[in-house]
Amino acid sequence: MAEHATAQETLFALREQIARLEGKSLPALAAAEQADSAADPEGRKSKNNTPRLPFGVPPMDIALEGGLPLDGITEIRSHLMGDAGAASGLALSLASHLKARQPSEAPLLWICDVVSMQEAGIPYSIGLKQFGLSRRDILYASPRKLDDALWLAETALASGALVAVILEIRGNPKHFGLTESRRLGLRAKAAGRPLFLLRHAGEEEASSASFRFLVEPAPAAHRHLPDGSVLGDSIGHPVFRLTLEKSRNPAPLSLLLEWNPHDRQFSLGQDAGEAFSFRNPPAHPGARLPASADRQNRAPALGTVVAFERAS
Amino acid sequence: MRLTALDEVSERLGLKRGQGLAEARAMFPKIDVVDEDDAADHGLLEAIADWCDRYTPLVALDGREGLFLDITGCAHLFGGEETLLKDILGRLLQMGFDVKGAISSSPGLSWAACRFGRGGVIADQATEEVLAPLPVNALRIDEATVASLYKLGLKRIGDLLPMPRAPLARRFGMHLLLRLDQALGHNEEAISPRRPVAALSAERRLPEPIQAEEHILQLTGQIAISLKSELEARGVGGRVFELVLFRVDGRVFRIAAGASQPLQDPKRISSLFSERLNAVHDDLDAGFGFELLRLNVLQHDVFRISQGDFTGNGDSEISLADFIDRVSARLGADCLQIADPKQSHMPERAEIFVPAIAARIVREGTRELSAFVPRSDRPLRLFRHPELVEAFAATVPDGPPRRFRWRRIVHEVIRAEGPERISPEWWHDEEDVEERDYFRLESEAGRRFWIFRAGHYVAGKAAPTWRVHGIFA
Repeated sequence: MAEHATAQETLFALREQIARLEGKSLPALAAAEQADSAADPEGRKSKNNTPRLPFGVPPMDIALEGGLPLDGITEIRSHLMGDAGAASGLALSLASHLKARQPSEAPLLWICDVVSMQEAGIPYSIGLKQFGLSRRDILYASPRKLDDALWLAETALASGALVAVILEIRGNPKHFGLTESRRLGLRAKAAGRPLFLLRHAGEEEASSASFRFLVEPAPAAHRHLPDGSVLGDSIGHPVFRLTLEKSRNPAPLSLLLEWNPHDRQFSLGQDAGEAFSFRNPPAHPGARLPASADRQNRAPALGTVVAFERAS
Repeated sequence: MRLTALDEVSERLGLKRGQGLAEARAMFPKIDVVDEDDAADHGLLEAIADWCDRYTPLVALDGREGLFLDITGCAHLFGGEETLLKDILGRLLQMGFDVKGAISSSPGLSWAACRFGRGGVIADQATEEVLAPLPVNALRIDEATVASLYKLGLKRIGDLLPMPRAPLARRFGMHLLLRLDQALGHNEEAISPRRPVAALSAERRLPEPIQAEEHILQLTGQIAISLKSELEARGVGGRVFELVLFRVDGRVFRIAAGASQPLQDPKRISSLFSERLNAVHDDLDAGFGFELLRLNVLQHDVFRISQGDFTGNGDSEISLADFIDRVSARLGADCLQIADPKQSHMPERAEIFVPAIAARIVREGTRELSAFVPRSDRPLRLFRHPELVEAFAATVPDGPPRRFRWRRIVHEVIRAEGPERISPEWWHDEEDVEERDYFRLESEAGRRFWIFRAGHYVAGKAAPTWRVHGIFA
């Protein structure tokens, strides 16, 4: 009997250790907390509060259990290099959202990948300012090797001087496996700073990221006129098609997320459809001015003049 | 081919510099001839000069085989001039160099005394006495002048000293008199040191050489402590530091590290070098250890003392500076960058990237230029060189294309905004640079591009080119 008790004790100790490693609340404590919460539902919230970054979009926040962790890795993955715009856009909008919620002087570090910069272009600070991040908010790093990039990310997280770190990598490099990602994850946890892992053209891979998104481009929202109506055929706020690939929540989640760079917040995007486009033009294009009969400005000829390549 | 240098044995045999190689071979068939390697000779001289840095920071190269050391104010540290000279010559002899040296009040006299005289320490009042018996070659003048002086029977410097100066100048030019005055010390001659003199420096001599990295760092910290009071007295902090490591066998390593803020704190100074030592790890061969460590402050800036507040916000500023310093020390100064706006409406000229370590200092004091702020949307990522696309069925004269091919993929354009015309900057560009019409395009898949047409559709001319310049989120 005594032996059995010792074995139980060891088992509990091991469980606690595993729980600690995984960053979950301890089973025994969790049970105690549940008992507490039954008595005092308000108190639990304030106690068990790992810092999180909510999207402000209810279905997403429910799936993320309150938001993105601010002391861990979040992976953002894209299928193709061609989706680099959407992938970088999402990572930067998250950083900008974070800065909007926690205003601080500390900058953001973007660790660029050299090949991605050639393939998808270099960060453009004027465009970033319109996107919600001012020039002083970003430090760019362009290490030559992946090892340097990993060292840089680790140092940046450990220093605690940066509000967030974006680590841009391409594909699934062999040198960045589970061990390295776990190491980065522990650093992030110790320093309480988020790391956004931006993986262009990458496969799903086991990592210590607590959440992984697959991001695809989606048609942008329309511009809104001051009176609330929609300006047809215009390209407004960017929209991302997000799929939550990895989370504690077993149900897969896919939604359209719209980023508003002016208010620096997210909203749920609507399927814009193809109301106005070249291929299916509007049936009634609105009031045209009546043709003037014998003046210089005649009614325009039907259709538009188009430049074709010369046949021969 | 001619002989350019001789060793002791061949000198004893009677060979001369400048002698033909064939002649020498005919006289002594067994001599061993090595091709001259100018670069290696120069490298060796540089290495010896580096080694001599331990005596004085002012070391200058003199031709192919000499060194000038300006020991003003240094001799007492080594127990006087005699001891200093003996120490230098003794140590170099142990390394296998046959050297002669002289200490005097002018470079010219020292040059003459160690090449043509007995060397040693020459007192000020003995100048003429030492100089007089030396041949006129000892004045560092060209062959032609020496030859014509010889013709007149003026073979020794002592022959020149009592001569009237005006006829000498008329006949041989001012150069001879200048050299004579320099040798006598009447005319001040400056040597040109190899390296800039450090603003501040402190060193530590070790009786027992050290090898381990942590010992080097620990010692660096201790030296930095002794520098601190001097930095404080001047009200400055160091921006660029240099750690000079003198190895036992004479090799010298120099490791420089920059800081983004003026530093006084010994801990932060030595932590600069901990990253630097990691980065140069393989190049730093400790061998049998280092016997002398010196810490130089190469650049310094005004140190502004700021009081920390109770909230601890000051720490983040320090830790950011610390982070930038560490990264710059390890991965190079241009690894971490920030964007600097420029006044230009051309998208690719509107910003440049500057190293963060330099930019943080510039920010203080200088006025920020108000950069051009465009009204219309700009892309998130910009291509350094706009990439050519094939545009199909563009609306003439100034509409967007309906589809385009970029990197072998055809994109159907669903929506388009534009054009936005950006004219070339005539004050930078050539006259034939075309103006650009920019469009924001959204493709079927939802990707958004920034595309421009360079020039216009003109009847009878080739169609203008289309390029993609950036991508939006």
